[in-house]
Amino acid sequence: MPASASTDPGEVSDLDLVKRSQAGDTRAFDVLVTRYRGRIYAMTYHLIQNETEAWDLAQEAFIKAWRALPTFKHDAGFYTWLYRIAHNVSYDWLRKKKIQGDGEFDDERTEHRVAVGAEAAPKGDLAPDTALRNAELGQRIQEAIAKLSPEHRQVIILREVEGLAYEEIAALIPCSLGTVMSRLFYARKKLQEQLHDVYETSL
Amino acid sequence: MKHPSEEHDLIRWIDGEMNEAERTAFEERLKQDPALAKEAEQMRALSASLRTHLPAEMRVPHADYFNTQIGVRITQMALDEARAKQSGSSWISALQWLRQPWFALAGAAALALLGFFLLGPNASGAAESMILSSYTPNTHVQARTYHDDAAEATVLMLDGLDPVPSEKKVSGIHVLRSEVEPELASTTMYDKQGAAVLMISRDALGNPMISPRG
Repeated sequence: MPASASTDPGEVSDLDLVKRSQAGDTRAFDVLVTRYRGRIYAMTYHLIQNETEAWDLAQEAFIKAWRALPTFKHDAGFYTWLYRIAHNVSYDWLRKKKIQGDGEFDDERTEHRVAVGAEAAPKGDLAPDTALRNAELGQRIQEAIAKLSPEHRQVIILREVEGLAYEEIAALIPCSLGTVMSRLFYARKKLQEQLHDVYETSL
Repeated sequence: MKHPSEEHDLIRWIDGEMNEAERTAFEERLKQDPALAKEAEQMRALSASLRTHLPAEMRVPHADYFNTQIGVRITQMALDEARAKQSGSSWISALQWLRQPWFALAGAAALALLGFFLLGPNASGAAESMILSSYTPNTHVQARTYHDDAAEATVLMLDGLDPVPSEKKVSGIHVLRSEVEPELASTTMYDKQGAAVLMISRDALGNPMISPRG
């Protein structure tokens, strides 16, 4: 699961801050918010792909965490626990949007018909990061991520950004290991399809 | 279309989730199957790019306001719950005390002072700060300010306020202002346990907002 942020020597530990927060100390909780807001916001942003909504959902996650603090048992790291809350908040939002959008994301229905990519694209000698400037490639990747279904986007973020193991992803979603692997495969195929010019010319 | 087991083998190889024997066997297959080898390398390159270009931590826009709003909501929730659970208790009397005109005035005055600091042309230098005017809705209360050289701060004094009842413990006040958005500021008053008793901030339109409301 995601590890907590490394703390400087002398910095108050998560455990101390959580205990104080559980006793009602909002200043301690404010320190936790400051410590983890960047990571929680990154996760909601990658999942939602909208700055305003991601900001609101990250805030919602911290509010939910505050309300749930009495149930926090210290058997998991605070960040891992917080991350689950933020993930669930964001993913619920995505699913509602998917339902309201009436098929805005449709790659779930077509994942077994994914093309292998532009096989006929000419090869070149440039590596991806030299074919496109980093910023441009980053923008292309963000746009490609935004076109994935919530389910595919979710596994890509959990694996590539958070570095979770398959078992951890399966437990978080929750779903079977086979589903995790299939979603990862087709999510990557979709991304590959959208970015085929980058990777075709690099190999 | 690949068989699911082939798909799973491919991503497990990319993600380093194979054991040594599985990895050796799969790499033998790659040697025999150039198309599969090409697909595997492309997918591996994609995976590396994703890790590079999707940061695990990002700068939160208006980060100070982000924290402030969480504080406002938490304070509001706590006091709403206390009001619901302890009708007629000390919490309610505390709320009544907090609703006294002078208390709201103190909050408004604090906000006005902050606003001046931040909107002034030379806000970076405390020694250059200057209060141009002050206003107190309650005529029994007088506001005056002075610059404290030792603290390098402008101090606001409100004379004529009722004394704080001894049983109502406000043991600390914390003023937070945004370094990014100067107009954003909040004042939180804490009890001895560190729990927020009252927070004064601004709503989305910039109007003073006191939590708990009403």
